[in-house]
Amino acid sequence: MVSIGAMAARLLWSGGYGWFVQQHMFIPLLLAAVVLIAFGAFEIAVGIREEQRIGATSRWRVAPTVGWLLLLPLAVLVAVAPTGLGAAAASRIEAFSPTEQTDEFPPLDTGGGPVEMRVYDFLDRAIWDDERSLDGVAVRLEGLVVNDDEIADGFQLTRFLVSCCAADGIPLQVALRGLDAPLEDNTWVIADVVWIEPDVPYADSGLRIVEAEILSIEPQPGVRKDPYESPY
Amino acid sequence: MFGPWPVVVLLVPALLLRNRLGLFSDEDLRLWSTLFVSICIQALPFLVLGVVISGLIGVFVSPELVERRVPKRPILAVPSAGLAGLALPGCECGSVPIAGRLVSAGTPPAAALTFLLAAPAINPVVMVSTAVAFPNTPMVVLARFLASFAVAVAVGAWWANRRNESLLDALSTDHDHSATKLHRFVDVASRDLVHAGGYLVLGALAAATLQLVIPRSALDSVVSSEVMSILVLAFLAVILSICSEADAFVAAGLPQFSLTSRLVFLVVGPVIDIKLVAMHAGVFGRSFAMRFAPVTFTIAVVSAVVFGQVLL
Repeated sequence: MVSIGAMAARLLWSGGYGWFVQQHMFIPLLLAAVVLIAFGAFEIAVGIREEQRIGATSRWRVAPTVGWLLLLPLAVLVAVAPTGLGAAAASRIEAFSPTEQTDEFPPLDTGGGPVEMRVYDFLDRAIWDDERSLDGVAVRLEGLVVNDDEIADGFQLTRFLVSCCAADGIPLQVALRGLDAPLEDNTWVIADVVWIEPDVPYADSGLRIVEAEILSIEPQPGVRKDPYESPY
Repeated sequence: MFGPWPVVVLLVPALLLRNRLGLFSDEDLRLWSTLFVSICIQALPFLVLGVVISGLIGVFVSPELVERRVPKRPILAVPSAGLAGLALPGCECGSVPIAGRLVSAGTPPAAALTFLLAAPAINPVVMVSTAVAFPNTPMVVLARFLASFAVAVAVGAWWANRRNESLLDALSTDHDHSATKLHRFVDVASRDLVHAGGYLVLGALAAATLQLVIPRSALDSVVSSEVMSILVLAFLAVILSICSEADAFVAAGLPQFSLTSRLVFLVVGPVIDIKLVAMHAGVFGRSFAMRFAPVTFTIAVVSAVVFGQVLL
């Protein structure tokens, strides 16, 4: 039990929990880790005291077999060291596109360079904004590279929408075009892009493939600790 | 009993053989571990909350107290247990040990089962997240609440009609005479945690594996008719085993399905899924889980379809 608490604590400390659950799970996880470690320490203390009193180890309660399964997530973390959802998940799960029409989009502040935007908001504006507020605006997006055979000169910029844990993650994708040299799958990039308006409006074609032209792109080293977007 | 060895015996060959077998690529293995670990981690706080409450029940709730407070007749006890579910803002993993402990403390099993089903489905957090996920169709929230509540009460009524059966045989009703209340509290909570937690991990294993074997993109090909899409989403809810606080967003992300079939997804998921079947088997016994799962599944689908047709 101490080890599970310690596992949770370690994930919290390293920030790696962001690969598995949403950021708002930090405090609940922290409380859970504290309670687990306290329980474990209590049981160990009681066990030692009993042992001293009756001079035998027989008082240690052996956990039921199934209880040992609790160590399995820990073993997997050590053995495989997963780092969150990536290209493999994107290829398996249908990409999400905003469906509910937002009534009104606030105007964009285009004064100070590229507008930073969540991938979700970019898709939302691209598909649903009748005022076409994205037209000609430089937007800064962040996400993972997922290569797609149908996009020769680019890739699907992918970010996962995760509301609770990675198991409910849904990919959000913008097809980026105009890339000079191909990038590897799962590279984290910061890209300044401009929306490419489709010839036929999305509403008429029924297609939800949103495209954008790359102005500049900056691959980032390492793995992000907070890779997901939240729907809230 | 056997100690850790069965787990070790299963795990070590699997790790050693994984490259030889070539069944899954490295990418797939990483995805699988991400899904598996995230289901476990996400459930951990709720499970701990659940066992803390079950520990408190173990210490402070005696059969005599239940005798005095809980209405005798199932017709009263079952709906009030459903409403009690409103008060626990957790997801499904936490309510399993609580329900188990309630039964050992003498609560009528039918009422405890109603609580078990109602708590994760109709609590305020779930209702709010549903409203956020479906901003333009608030009726989904109402339909989800009513349909889930109906399921919880109906399953409770079903169990109340099987009077001669007792859940107590399956439950570990050991009464240790620990010295202090604190000691007893920690004992009960730890035991429930190890027990329910172990089965939770088992369920997470199954859920992560099924998610990988049955890709979600395969769904699109089968949405030809309304009946099919209802069945597909009902089974998807069982397989995915996601938290009841998150499933509304997944449902919102399936616009190719009708609102009714998505309501089925929202009603089935919190009451029965792979992870929960494993936990029920662990806490209430295998034969109980085998009967409870199909009945609950069927009632949930019917209830969601009825409320979906009327309200959506």
